[in-house]
Amino acid sequence: MGGVEDDEPASKRMKLSSEALIHLSNGSTVKESIVGSSRDLMARPLQSDGGEEVVGSKGVIKKVEFVRIIAKALYSLGYIRSGAHLEEESGIALHSSIINVFMRQVLEGDWDESVATLHNIGLTDEMIIKSASFLILEQKFFEFLDEEKVMDALKTLRTEISPLCINHGRVRELSLSIVSPSHCFTVRSPKQNTSRARSRTKLLEELQKLLPPTVMVPERRLEHLVEQALGLQRDACMFHNSLDEEISLFADHQCARDQIPSYALQVDANGISLKHKLSGHQKPVSSVSWSPDDHQLLTCGVEEVVRRWDASSGECLSVYEKAGLGMVSCGWSPDGKWIFSGVNDKSISLWELDGRELECWKGQHTLKISDLEITSDGKQIISICRETAILLLDREAKVERFIEEDQTITSFSLSRDNRFLLVNLLNQEIHLWSIEDDLKLVSKYRGHKRTRFIIRSCFGGLEQAFVASGSEDSLVYIWHRGTGELIEALPGHSGAVNCVSWNPTNPHMLASASDDRTIRIWGLNNLSAKQKDTHGNGIHYCNGGT
Amino acid sequence: MGRLFVVNLEGKVYSCKHCKIHLALVDDILSKSFQSRHGKAYLFSKVVNVSVGEKEDRLMITGLHTVADIFCIGCGSIVGWKYEFAHEKSQKYKEGKSVLERFKVSGPDGSHYWVSHETHVGGSDADDV
Repeated sequence: MGGVEDDEPASKRMKLSSEALIHLSNGSTVKESIVGSSRDLMARPLQSDGGEEVVGSKGVIKKVEFVRIIAKALYSLGYIRSGAHLEEESGIALHSSIINVFMRQVLEGDWDESVATLHNIGLTDEMIIKSASFLILEQKFFEFLDEEKVMDALKTLRTEISPLCINHGRVRELSLSIVSPSHCFTVRSPKQNTSRARSRTKLLEELQKLLPPTVMVPERRLEHLVEQALGLQRDACMFHNSLDEEISLFADHQCARDQIPSYALQVDANGISLKHKLSGHQKPVSSVSWSPDDHQLLTCGVEEVVRRWDASSGECLSVYEKAGLGMVSCGWSPDGKWIFSGVNDKSISLWELDGRELECWKGQHTLKISDLEITSDGKQIISICRETAILLLDREAKVERFIEEDQTITSFSLSRDNRFLLVNLLNQEIHLWSIEDDLKLVSKYRGHKRTRFIIRSCFGGLEQAFVASGSEDSLVYIWHRGTGELIEALPGHSGAVNCVSWNPTNPHMLASASDDRTIRIWGLNNLSAKQKDTHGNGIHYCNGGT
Repeated sequence: MGRLFVVNLEGKVYSCKHCKIHLALVDDILSKSFQSRHGKAYLFSKVVNVSVGEKEDRLMITGLHTVADIFCIGCGSIVGWKYEFAHEKSQKYKEGKSVLERFKVSGPDGSHYWVSHETHVGGSDADDV
């Protein structure tokens, strides 16, 4: 690789190459005239060592870059002598001497000299030179104002900053701050309101972000690369489900399977007893929903009425109905102040708790068999509106968005952060959709069985990294959400598993309900998991009844 | 039992004779000239609320076909069959379509069909004009 650069005529090498830096550190000194050094670096012949040498088994890490970011990290950690020693021993300079000069000039406030140096670094992009000059001169301007040298500040603004012809809005703000000192305070960037030394350091950091990374190595670059690698390891870890899993730099991170709930826990039967039987519905109850404060329940009879109950007394507080029509689904507003329900004429109605209808969206908004959900900010109502489409209705903006599928949709589940929707299809596929900005299909999950019933799936685990689902083959299916890989198919139930619910506060606990008339609680195969406190997520079930 | 996922059709609907679950729309009839062991059968472009059985090869009047029996999801009774693969080129149009036996469904007006004496006894066959 180094051979190619040898043949290129010096004038063609516009940007500072890493080779050039080596020569600067070897040969030039601080006292050398600045103008002269840039010409020199072009003319000097390349030395054979430190060419495009690489480290690492894959041959993609350039040795010079590697050493430079290590030196930068040493300096950041405060190991100045070690950093200097590394530069010396390797013969690789962290920064070229001209950059060192530049940095020193900025920190010492030699503004005019630093701007001149800026032009001699060898940058090709005019805009960068201008933007950097602007930042430096702005600092000069504010420091003048601090010293109450208003005329000097004005002169800087007129003769040095304005001619740059960039950032006109900022120039106007600066001129305003001369006229009105109180305005000046608001116009200053945050760094100006700290001590002079600190604001100069901040200026240097801002300049660093402007200049190309080969010229001035970005702060904390090595730390960033390491964090990136650790992040990738974590994402690739399919069984990652515990907060206290430490990630070490010494070995690639990989959790064992044992963090996924896969053992049926013994539940103390004495702890569960029948509290109330809520009677009143004449038709089968199709959905049950806890109020946000957990004190009330909302139930819906199939094509009948919606009833609101007090959970502690078992008393029916309200009945919501519409003449000649039947309710098909129900839900609470996130603040618990109103409720909404789907009606069998495809409309969706909103009700005050006292029974007054607030709003009604007529038209094709929901089906007789459809889930009905609301985002936790109360803004979007989600429902299956056609065989193959889901409606996302923004109540305030009155905007309707549609998720279109090729197959019939049987049910869906909303993620806790409102950003994703898990859609169950007739053809035994589960589709993950992103619903935040654009509607996008993200992943598909397969393996479970569905031919007759509504089978439900849900998100779960640490950071909702997993997708779980029921299945008609009586297994509980768990996939890794990111990779789509099937991790577990848990046997135990003796009938179709209709729905699953992953404990939102305990990533090691999962519940499943089945046609075998049982509910199973799944956890980890160690005693400590059982003792963890559980918190209801709004959907509770009775064991034993149909 | 779990909650059945039932598609509700709109318009003139044929439903399962036993449990009344919707099966197909009159508008989706492609041919009324099919025959089954129980008499008349209709070919539909789209049938809902059925589960599909195992595929098997059957020799029918019109040739060898790979078909699967279809069952009502509500009561499990067999209501017809689905053409998965047609070995004869002229029969390819049937692929993906389903046949409902008239005897097994209630018509849009609730009417039923009774097996007539002219029906030929045999396997479920297809006979198109």
